[in-house]
Amino acid sequence: MFDNLGSALLTGIAQGAMIALVALGYSMVYGILKLINFAHSEVFMMGAFVGLFALQALGGEGSPLLAGVFGTLAAMLFAGLLGTVVEKLAYAPLRARGKEASRIAPLVTALGMSVLLQNLAQLLFSARVQSYPQIIPIGETRIVIVVACFATMIGLWLLVHRTWFGKSMRALSMNVDAARLMGVRTGRVIGLTFMTGSSLAALGAVLYCLDQSPAYPTMGTVIGTRAFVAAVIGGIGSIPGAMLGGLLIGVLGELTKLTPYSKFQDVLVFAALIGVLLWRPSGLLGSTAVEKV
Amino acid sequence: MGSSIVRQGLGAVALVGIAIAAEFGLELLIPDTAFRQLVMLALVNVVVALSLNVINGMAGQFSIGHAGFVGIGAYTAAIVSGHIHEKIGEGAEFGFGASFVVMPPAIAAAALVAGLFGLVVGLPSLRLKGDYLAIVTLGFAEIFRLVIATASPGTEATGLGGLISRLGGQQGYGGPTDTGVAQYAGPFWVVGAVLVGVLLAWRLKFSGWGRALRALREDEIAAAAVGVDPTSYKVTSFVIAAMGGGVAGALLACMRDGNPTVQPEQFNFLYSFDAITMVILGGSGSVSGAVAGGIFVTVTVKLIEQLQRLEAVELFRAAHPDFDLNALRMVVYAAVLIVLMVMRPAGVFGENEIFRAKPRGPAQPPGGGPPADAPAEAAS
Amino acid sequence: MSTLRLSRVGKQFGGLRAVSDVSFEVPPKSIFGLIGPNGAGKTTVFNLVTGVYDFEGTIQFGERSLAGMKPAAIAAAGIARTFQNIRLFPSLTVLENVLVACENRRRAHLGASILRSKRYYDDERDMQKAALELLEVFGLASAADEPSTSLSYGNQRRLEIARAMMLEPKLLLLDEPAAGMNYGEAEGLQKQIRWLRDEFEITVVLVEHNMQVVMGVCEEIHVLDHGETIAHGTPAEIKKHPKVLAAYLGEEVGDDPDAEAAAAAAIEQAPLSRAGVAAQSGVEAR
Repeated sequence: MFDNLGSALLTGIAQGAMIALVALGYSMVYGILKLINFAHSEVFMMGAFVGLFALQALGGEGSPLLAGVFGTLAAMLFAGLLGTVVEKLAYAPLRARGKEASRIAPLVTALGMSVLLQNLAQLLFSARVQSYPQIIPIGETRIVIVVACFATMIGLWLLVHRTWFGKSMRALSMNVDAARLMGVRTGRVIGLTFMTGSSLAALGAVLYCLDQSPAYPTMGTVIGTRAFVAAVIGGIGSIPGAMLGGLLIGVLGELTKLTPYSKFQDVLVFAALIGVLLWRPSGLLGSTAVEKV
Repeated sequence: MGSSIVRQGLGAVALVGIAIAAEFGLELLIPDTAFRQLVMLALVNVVVALSLNVINGMAGQFSIGHAGFVGIGAYTAAIVSGHIHEKIGEGAEFGFGASFVVMPPAIAAAALVAGLFGLVVGLPSLRLKGDYLAIVTLGFAEIFRLVIATASPGTEATGLGGLISRLGGQQGYGGPTDTGVAQYAGPFWVVGAVLVGVLLAWRLKFSGWGRALRALREDEIAAAAVGVDPTSYKVTSFVIAAMGGGVAGALLACMRDGNPTVQPEQFNFLYSFDAITMVILGGSGSVSGAVAGGIFVTVTVKLIEQLQRLEAVELFRAAHPDFDLNALRMVVYAAVLIVLMVMRPAGVFGENEIFRAKPRGPAQPPGGGPPADAPAEAAS
Repeated sequence: MSTLRLSRVGKQFGGLRAVSDVSFEVPPKSIFGLIGPNGAGKTTVFNLVTGVYDFEGTIQFGERSLAGMKPAAIAAAGIARTFQNIRLFPSLTVLENVLVACENRRRAHLGASILRSKRYYDDERDMQKAALELLEVFGLASAADEPSTSLSYGNQRRLEIARAMMLEPKLLLLDEPAAGMNYGEAEGLQKQIRWLRDEFEITVVLVEHNMQVVMGVCEEIHVLDHGETIAHGTPAEIKKHPKVLAAYLGEEVGDDPDAEAAAAAAIEQAPLSRAGVAAQSGVEAR
């Protein structure tokens, strides 16, 4: 029993850390654009596929270190580019039109991008599930995942708090117009934010699949939704909030697997979401914004 | 204003007349069953689009889980109609006369249950700023689908789990005796629902209530400052949309010559996306746009199903087993939607209607007397 | 019984104390000025009274406490307002903008809209008539079916006041009604405000930077600076109040009567230039 619990906790932390990586992308974009990037979950899925192909091309199980490191980097690079392209195609043109664009338009393009990418993946890679090569010994997978995720999060923290880019990003999230007047090149910072968030999602995707999960075109919906809920629970727009929310969702999800209600994991995730919205709409670590009249 | 009552009465008689004519004329007009089914399905989707248009178009909110409300309506109506069908013992016949006993309670129950869920989902999320409604509706629709799909029939006998497992899980629900849903919704009910739906949507839009809703969509703070309560208007429009979705679900479940079972997969996210496409293609907020969008999307969906059966396509699919025309359709739709939003965000019709009735009770200029009289009187 | 009574009202925004311990009473049927330099918290006070934000302390409208009431309920109770940066409904016509303000008075609202009973048409006709009459009063009747965005800036301000009056309020809050107006227009505005009060028997509170208007039309003035009360009195008293002079001119004024007179003259001029700035920003905000 206790062994079960300990193991579930470790798995939960590993799962949660991966969810947090994906949640960060939602949160960073929402922080600066106040936009739910529905396409993020599909960038995650695309990252999983590209990671798979790169791993196979680099020798897969034959050369685990080379394939693992460079395969992951390739997936991150691809996803980063994809995220930037999505932003340029679907969001930037609406932003250029300014406040006249209806509030719904960006939500529609975001949703459209998500549907487009998912079905494109189905056309390109087929609806079949495709297994990842086993490049990390099963016993050590979770440890590798946890270490990789936490190292990345520390790196992100440094990026946001110790670099010019991070400073611009934070300035943008407070006031886009003021940031622009102060000389922040908003278009570039927004693009870089999408790139960072998308690469993190791809890292999460590769790690997720290395943990004995196959890649398939609709995988983004399941994990993406969990990650989004994690971002909202933590406080959307808040980077530490996304990390905390991810860990909570991961650990709670694994714990439900110990109960007879394991089938209802995602139902519970949404129940938690609605609960948080009712009780504390700004999330655990989010701050409430006051609208200026 | 006696003429108003007469006009309303005549209008009602005309509507019933059209619906009855549809009941008996559709088969003559369209002898082909598959084609007739397509028309019925398109009309049901018009109801879906009309209802979603209330919240996504008129109220300017963004619900992306409309399939959930349609699904709830479908299951509710399937259960209610099935039980009434058992009671009245009509056998395998779904007569036109008996449909008047079965359909009203089935539709009412579907609207009521869907509206109730709409209230539960809408109240917390519409109180908040931002796009929470989008996520919460998506989440709600997915929960609904997953709860029904994951319950395997016959495993649990008692409690809530038992009730849900009786809905047939992934295989679908085929009525209380599992012999198929009681298909009482003939053309009369489907055409009737479309007519009533268009009338309601029209009247909602071109009324004081619709005006207040438009004001709210444009400036929430200014609207509140003149006494239009944002939460109450938004929640009301969301509940109306949910109820309309429920009615569409009831028709979908009970449609004559339709699917004999109600399956959770019918109400997946792609169906919600199709509904959004119907509303946006036509133009958010436009009643005629919703009608056109509903028909257009349904026809293209079915057209692609037909195309799949073409010999050339089958040959191509034999060579490329993974090729999925429906995925291609979704790619095209999504791309069209993105381009449309970027180029012409108001949709094809914008908020306009194809034809627009002149507002009744023409605005007369105020007669003689000191201009400020009336407000002063009313204030005292 | 005062129309509006604020007692020890405060509001905190994060680290900013926007309004602190403000108390004043607005007598019935008076024209009351709320003035102060930029950032003094005047508009915030309006937002507290109209329920946009919650507040500390008590605010009473007649006998009624406004604590916890939502903006729509406060509007329905009889407090109407205009906004500093005009907030009309752009896609609605001029007439429709005014009509929105009587929606809360309709009975059996949604049902009547759908069923289109006789009462619905009667209501709609009465409302249209009242709205057109109001537009006539404000000289906007000829533009009733134009989109509200096609109006000139001054007419948009007038339409906003007409819309507020359609609520049949007992208290009207005007947020910088003179912004963007020249000397002659501001002169006309004073007449209109007095006429509104007399004709509709309402109480008017205005936030204004234009001292010509404030001193010309207000019977009582409350002065805020950095969220705190610094003075209260008649226009004549306020003109001479040392704290007010200091707040506007940025220096203490001595006892020298000549200097005081000079400063009093200066306050007539200096805030005018401020009003000019405010007018520009008002135009930009649109």
